[in-house]
Amino acid sequence: MTETKGKFSNWWEKQTGAPPKTWHKILITVFLLVFLFVFYVTLDANKYKAFVHVVDGKSVIGVNPTSEALDFGDLAKGTSAVRRVDIKNGTAIPMWVSVIKTGDLGELVSVDKKSFVLKSGDEEKVEFSIYIPASASIDSIYKGRVYVFKVPTFGLIK
Amino acid sequence: MKTIGNILIYFAIVGGLVFGLPKFLSWALDTPYPMAAITSGSMWPVLKKGDLVLVEGVKKDDLAVGDIIVFENKERKNFTIHRIVKLDDENITTKGDANFNEDTSISYKEVIGRAVKLGSHQFRIPYLGLVTVYASEIR
Repeated sequence: MTETKGKFSNWWEKQTGAPPKTWHKILITVFLLVFLFVFYVTLDANKYKAFVHVVDGKSVIGVNPTSEALDFGDLAKGTSAVRRVDIKNGTAIPMWVSVIKTGDLGELVSVDKKSFVLKSGDEEKVEFSIYIPASASIDSIYKGRVYVFKVPTFGLIK
Repeated sequence: MKTIGNILIYFAIVGGLVFGLPKFLSWALDTPYPMAAITSGSMWPVLKKGDLVLVEGVKKDDLAVGDIIVFENKERKNFTIHRIVKLDDENITTKGDANFNEDTSISYKEVIGRAVKLGSHQFRIPYLGLVTVYASEIR
């Protein structure tokens, strides 16, 4: 009777000098599943470039957000602007939505809902507000990025 | 036996850091409040929300316009970290860099200390004050 080994077992044995044990296989499978899950969530996230131009004169609110950018336009010190983004769950399972902002602009922008659960087919508006403080530099363009991650809840978060 | 010894050493180091470091800083910086967390964006961009700053005890004569000081805010019943914009023999007036208005003037006895500088830069440890920020938001 001949024993057949998978490619993985052969590779493992070549590397370590011993065949993989069951717990090795379980651990590697779990690691791969977690990696694929994180990869999917990152790939599926809505990503927006965000920017604002600080001006000395009159504020000019930027164009409405596209699917790629949150444009706050030209804003003077002491003024504010609001941008809204629609988040829709087009899947059959509930999603936990988490909004993360980065960069210089991320420090100036506040979000009304940082995280929430979105049921299947539901839609939610997320509001981004910016206020230009007195210490902002005139003629500077503050940039940042906003990520909207959607993580399947699997019924764990209500 | 060796493992138990390692665990004991580990706990001694962690305990020493948690309990000893604030006491050491308090002694070295000559203030009962040697550390402060930034809980608002009023000093942006020099100090950002979530930063941890070191505070040093300071004498009245050593304070100058431009210094960032920590003082007891009696209106809000907490400590505030803002920059000195005016000072005379009796009072100090401060303002947050990101704010448009000056704060109500305070007396010298309300000053807790001055934020430590590293050369010409303000010393800050990003994110280390986030625990305090979350705690203040929960309150």
